[in-house]
Amino acid sequence: MNEQQSLRPTASGTTVPGRTAEAGGTTPFWQMRGISKRYGGILALDNVDFACERNSIHAVLGENGAGKSTLIKIAAGVVTPTTGELMLEGREVKIARPQDAHAQGIVCIFQELSLMPDLSVADNICMTSPPGRFGFINHRAQRRRAEALLERVGCGDVNPLELVKNLPLSRRQMVEIAKALGRQPRLLILDEATSALTAADVEKVYAILHDLRRDGLSILYISHRMHEIKQLADTCSVFRNGRHIETFKKGTRSDNEIVRLMIGREYTQVYPAKPARPEAPAPALAVRNLSWGSRLNDVSLTVGKGEIVGLGGLDGQGQRELLLALFGVLRGVSGSIEVDGKAAKPGSPGEAKSPRIRMALIPEDRKSEGLLLPMSVRDNISMASIGRFTKGLFIDRARQDARVDEVIRRLAIKVGDPDSAVATLSGGNQQKVVIAKWLMTEARVILLNDPTRGIDVGTKQEIYQLLRELADAGTAILFYTTDYDELIGCCDRVSIMYAGGIKRELRGDDITEENIVASALNIDLAPGHPGAEHGA
Amino acid sequence: MQAVLKRVDRPVAIAFGFIVVLLLAGSLYSSSFLSANYLLQQLQVAAFLGLIASGVMLVILLGHIDLSIPWLVTVGGMMSTAAAGWWGPEWAIPFGVFCGLVFGIINGLGVAILRVPSMIFTLGINAVAQGIMVLHTGGFAPQDHATELMHWLAVERVLLGIPNAVFIWALLGCAIVVMLQRTPLGRYIYAIGNREGATYLSGVNTKLIIITCFAISGMCSALAGVLLAGYSNKGYQAMGDPYLLPAIAAVVLGGTHILGGRGTYLGTVAGVVLISLLASILSVMQMPEAGRQIIYGCVIVGMLMVYGRGQKVLG
Repeated sequence: MNEQQSLRPTASGTTVPGRTAEAGGTTPFWQMRGISKRYGGILALDNVDFACERNSIHAVLGENGAGKSTLIKIAAGVVTPTTGELMLEGREVKIARPQDAHAQGIVCIFQELSLMPDLSVADNICMTSPPGRFGFINHRAQRRRAEALLERVGCGDVNPLELVKNLPLSRRQMVEIAKALGRQPRLLILDEATSALTAADVEKVYAILHDLRRDGLSILYISHRMHEIKQLADTCSVFRNGRHIETFKKGTRSDNEIVRLMIGREYTQVYPAKPARPEAPAPALAVRNLSWGSRLNDVSLTVGKGEIVGLGGLDGQGQRELLLALFGVLRGVSGSIEVDGKAAKPGSPGEAKSPRIRMALIPEDRKSEGLLLPMSVRDNISMASIGRFTKGLFIDRARQDARVDEVIRRLAIKVGDPDSAVATLSGGNQQKVVIAKWLMTEARVILLNDPTRGIDVGTKQEIYQLLRELADAGTAILFYTTDYDELIGCCDRVSIMYAGGIKRELRGDDITEENIVASALNIDLAPGHPGAEHGA
Repeated sequence: MQAVLKRVDRPVAIAFGFIVVLLLAGSLYSSSFLSANYLLQQLQVAAFLGLIASGVMLVILLGHIDLSIPWLVTVGGMMSTAAAGWWGPEWAIPFGVFCGLVFGIINGLGVAILRVPSMIFTLGINAVAQGIMVLHTGGFAPQDHATELMHWLAVERVLLGIPNAVFIWALLGCAIVVMLQRTPLGRYIYAIGNREGATYLSGVNTKLIIITCFAISGMCSALAGVLLAGYSNKGYQAMGDPYLLPAIAAVVLGGTHILGGRGTYLGTVAGVVLISLLASILSVMQMPEAGRQIIYGCVIVGMLMVYGRGQKVLG
């Protein structure tokens, strides 16, 4: 009780009656019952029951798309569940908007920083309820409150009047935490909140979280860093495919068991057979020591002629940046890139597709990066290769159209009239148009950024088939996908990225879901693992 | 016939319809509105606007805007007459257009390389051009008489009584239509207007395309200035001031999307004729200047609202 009281006055000097009572009891503090969330045809959460207690740090684990983010967003009132109910201290609560969540003392620190860069630290910390009266802000009180909260998170050295944009990323994240504490949370949710922190800051955050736990808060902690979870969490819940798989107490499961809980999806795809390869083919694409700011660290990899190399790992570990760097989009990339043994570091996409290099990139977001939606299918397909169909100054329509029709047939793009807008096609066919655009350039090296996201199973299989055909014809393919299934089924080799570097390269029978997930989480699984559990 | 009708988009059809309505309404007021002479005279005036609008249309198709028109027109007019005085009459037209080209390239560099929003950068260049023209006439008096060739191009009618200026516009128009429809450059212009990022990722040199379009726009404005100087026999300051809003309005009334990516040259022609006709009818009706401005503005806003309805489909 007293400890909890000591938290409140630092925030605003007021205590909220009723909030400090009922720490014990048998009903869980926060409960979600039968929660489902449907986005269009996709079930992001499937009848989830979830509960967490006071005085505890509860970690939520799961791979990409497991439903963690949706779970948090529902608690924070950012999205409303399709079905199910939310209970706080055994009473049902309606949380339809973020304000409702705040009123209940549910505070969320999201992955993306939510600070206003051009406002001061104090302004940001007191954003939701600035002290003052009659609509005027009492700046002195605001500064004092900010100072107290910064002191509390161990950042007394940060000047509350400094603009947020002048702070380094790790400080900003601490300000974000201070801001959250200022809202007097009862349930605090941290979504990857430590991803940008320095080691010293992480220690401070641990200490704060332990304090808060002692003060009676319930803390939900989402992180991809296994060692953090081991160090912090009292309880872990594993999610998979929108379902709550299991909740267990700290130390009752080994790393191997946790990984196994996280994976284990049914295999539904059919992949073309991989060719047997006694020895590695000569590299068509060789990347050495590629670095870019803090996002890419010393990446080296090769893709052989006729080989499909998969890029794996959790979202945002530098895969996207790697592909963009190879394609000449990023400025200030250090390191070397060779294509067929010749130095080939493009300065722009135009150079990357030139006959000297002949590279192609299927970008991440087909609607904004791959296609010109209102323009015709024909114009889109020929966009990267019009230069090849000119007679003098003019486009040779007949030659261009013949080639476009050929590619449309080869990829079986379902389109009535190639002159109709590409926006009228289905997602799968739109993706085929993007691929068709680059087939027209006869690229030697094809980079793909998650090409099968959001398209139907049938088209996916056609794309796998096409990739294998291209590889068999001698094309080198580097294939980033968030779907582990595809890494296993489609790729001859797989490189897993973690924190901007290649964590591990898997080949042949080593390409298993266990290995992929373990590498993606940056943990080592020993086969016999006597030491694997230590620290848990 | 059906196919032709299908290819003409709605805004273009509306603009042409509106032209017919204006002519009919005018003919009720005075029968001379439908006479060949009156119509040809309208076309002559429209030709100057048409030249300017041609260049602006390319820039708007990219999703940018060129606000340096007024003083690039003036630069074209004043520098051509000055060049005639300095080096002889044969230099007049090439030098006037060349000056427009230089300013256009500067616009393009600012937008494509420095990434300054075109609205700001071209407005700044407009002011710079104004300052340079003021300097140019300060302290000494360069020649401001148009050469005979300029006058001949702008005013005379050699063929079938059609003003020469109309032929120049037609020639430029044909070149732009061919460029937009048949060359990679045209394809890239529409592509950039639709989504510059996707076009860049297709390996297109988007910066070069943007610079080219601004350069063409600068040349078109300067050429219009040359002809205007020929028309009034004199290059003078602020001669381009009345052309900014009409040029942009003509392009947009002709159905070119103000955010780029969609539009036809036929529409721009319709828009130019429409704007010229409207201005002429209002002045024939002796509408006071204030009333003219109000009607002018209302017509533009009104027609844009009509178009806006039809364009939600792909938005």
